[in-house]
Amino acid sequence: MANKENDIILTMTGVVKTFPGVKALDDVSIQVRRGSVHGIVGENGAGKSTLMKILSGVYTKDKGTIIFDGETIETTTPHQAMQRGLSIIYQELNLVNTMTAGENIYLGRFSEVNGMKGTHQKAREALDRIGSDIDTWTLVQDLSVSRKQMVEIAKALSFDSKLIIMDEPSSSLTQDEMKALAKIINQLRSEGISVIYISHKLDEIFDFCDTVTVMRDGKVIDTRPVEEFTRMDMISMMVGRSIEKEFPERPRKVSTPLMEVEGIKTKKLHDISFTLNKGEILGLVGLVGAGRTEIVRALFGADKIKAGTIKLDGEVVAIRNPRDAMKRGISFVPEDRKQQGLILPFSVENNISIATLKNLYKFGILDKNKERQIAEKHIKTLKIKTPTARTAVESLSGGNQQKCIIGRWMEIQPRILIMDEPTRGIDVGAKYEIYLLMKDIVENGGSVILISSELPEVLNMSNRVLTVCDGRINGEFDPEKASVDEIMAKALGVSVEGAMA
Amino acid sequence: MNKALMKAVKEYLVLLLVLGLVLITAVIEPKFITSGNMTNIMRQFGPLIMVAMGMTFVIIGGYIDLSVAGIMSLVAVVTLSLIDPIGQVGAIFVGLLIGAAAGFLNSLVITRSGAMTQAEGLFISYGMSVLYGGTALLYTGGVTNHLSYIESNYSLFTLIGSGTVGIFSVSFIIFLFLLLILYIFQNFTYTGRAICLTGGNKTAANLTGINVNRTIIIIWTISGFMAGVSSIVLFSRVTTASPVLGKGFELNAILAVVVGGTSLKGGKGSVARTVLGAMLVILLSNSMNLLGVTVYMQNVMKGLLLILAIWLDNLKGRR
Repeated sequence: MANKENDIILTMTGVVKTFPGVKALDDVSIQVRRGSVHGIVGENGAGKSTLMKILSGVYTKDKGTIIFDGETIETTTPHQAMQRGLSIIYQELNLVNTMTAGENIYLGRFSEVNGMKGTHQKAREALDRIGSDIDTWTLVQDLSVSRKQMVEIAKALSFDSKLIIMDEPSSSLTQDEMKALAKIINQLRSEGISVIYISHKLDEIFDFCDTVTVMRDGKVIDTRPVEEFTRMDMISMMVGRSIEKEFPERPRKVSTPLMEVEGIKTKKLHDISFTLNKGEILGLVGLVGAGRTEIVRALFGADKIKAGTIKLDGEVVAIRNPRDAMKRGISFVPEDRKQQGLILPFSVENNISIATLKNLYKFGILDKNKERQIAEKHIKTLKIKTPTARTAVESLSGGNQQKCIIGRWMEIQPRILIMDEPTRGIDVGAKYEIYLLMKDIVENGGSVILISSELPEVLNMSNRVLTVCDGRINGEFDPEKASVDEIMAKALGVSVEGAMA
Repeated sequence: MNKALMKAVKEYLVLLLVLGLVLITAVIEPKFITSGNMTNIMRQFGPLIMVAMGMTFVIIGGYIDLSVAGIMSLVAVVTLSLIDPIGQVGAIFVGLLIGAAAGFLNSLVITRSGAMTQAEGLFISYGMSVLYGGTALLYTGGVTNHLSYIESNYSLFTLIGSGTVGIFSVSFIIFLFLLLILYIFQNFTYTGRAICLTGGNKTAANLTGINVNRTIIIIWTISGFMAGVSSIVLFSRVTTASPVLGKGFELNAILAVVVGGTSLKGGKGSVARTVLGAMLVILLSNSMNLLGVTVYMQNVMKGLLLILAIWLDNLKGRR
């Protein structure tokens, strides 16, 4: 056996994968050391997911060799891969919600561990290994996203995994949950288990990874120890051009109040009051499930408001459904693009025209030319990359899909644009364009409500930040003065209220 | 080149099957192309295609309507019983109203109960079908009524059932008229598009200002209304209104819609293609009858056809 330090768990050499019309992977070679955390970064469409899918057996490679744990692997299936000791934790977790945590860990292998009793016993051991106190009898649907992820990691460990691939593991985790994940990753590393960590968030890459591979257009651009990268050159490599900064200059156009929210109550919200000013970007910060999304859903008429008033320009308005909100110039980019934003089998133009569709009918007949014109206009101004306006929106990349949703709302010329996690799963270049767009809206007299789990984004773009905790707004901050810790503490509800009372 | 051919074959498979079936049957059994048999086919075609056209909208909107069977039975027995008390025009009017009202009631149950999934809608409509069918049996005490027992004038029903204009049966003309209206409705109006978008993704449609509840009400009401029309056409032809008249129509209608290429996943489909699908279903059973295939075997074939159509639809969706 070679010296532990140089022991390689995975070697990929010259891997090629071609899809009709696209070379998804072009001569990719990557080596992962045992017990290291290997980051892979790249824009959407860079080939990261294709690579992972080849490793896990979802796709078959066209060319190249893969050696995992000393064994050359030609073809594999997801199940075989797991048994060899290679597990993948996908962004959309693969758990059965209606079963318990323990059952999920040993799903399909109950007989191997002597039935239910053994299942829960073994699952307990796996969870203990990562220092998690999740009760194996809890139903998965009752767990938070981060705890579900822990169940997935425990599941991977139960297969004696030697390499665990995590695909965007942090996309819905809060700062605190991230710390828990970091701890687990360190634990895995110390046990000699390798981790491939795929993420768009460079902070995490710098925090967790030992080695980083940058990919672009299906090629490996560079692999280096993390110390040899700077943030900016990593970004430049990803986008293939130099980028001067991650965020545009903060807009400064805040003027008079536009919307006043007073004492809103819904099923999950208690007494929400705040003011949104003209030309303002207002950031909402809080844990997933704290009520951030519920606040904007109430404003948009998607959830029923039980009490309280909403005033626009000083006048009380009734918003009972999204149509009422749209008539008042409120628009909403929801957090889950695919489930809540887009109508996937439909074309780009259908998805863009949808918010103003009613106006496109003359004497009850659709003016298809006008629909096309509207779509073309937004494709051009927002630089949406799509072969034609008639292409199915599901074939576009995440960033371009998001731009379709934004284009749809630009068409109603919104006074208030609500954006819930607008840059989730979107690459660096497209993110910057979305920031510019937000800036553009407020500079033209509109207002933006921004919800994001990425604190740097909220802090750099917002004029004011509200923290949401347990269905209440519990703090207001000036992002230029407040510290990250201060804001996070408030959002977590760990304030010094006792001392003040 | 090859790919384009494959695509065309998938796209027009139903049409090809219809043609193939006609040719094969015509060769084996010359009786198939006699004018008597053609009239027969045209008459059978009417009731099924009308239910199937209504069903198309429900399926595009993301649901499946099993209640059409119950609605057809109920409309038939009530309409027939009303000819004597309120006259034939009034009876037809009330019959159509009952069909639409039953569909509307389905949609109310669905929207009020928040049944947003296809499966929930399916079972609600099944329950409603049992309810409507049961009501029909209660209303008549299980007795089948005959048009010939009616004392007042029922000439309209005779016209609908067996009248002709030139070479076309009256029921065929009714069908053409309804097809034209529904085709325009589907392809050119806002509501037509809204139905597709709602079927594509209810949550997203709602969050972009489409009135999803209204759309759901419209599709079910259309389906109920079309079941009513179909019921009147059917019992006019057979001249009897049985309280179980609609039995089996729901499955044949779903078969026609799916064979026609409307996706059970919702969002996509067309009334015009449902017509082709219905044609295939009718021709299939007609040719099997002529070829002496037993009813049991015919059921086996229908089942296979439905599964084949769903399978093909899934293949189309895959990239």
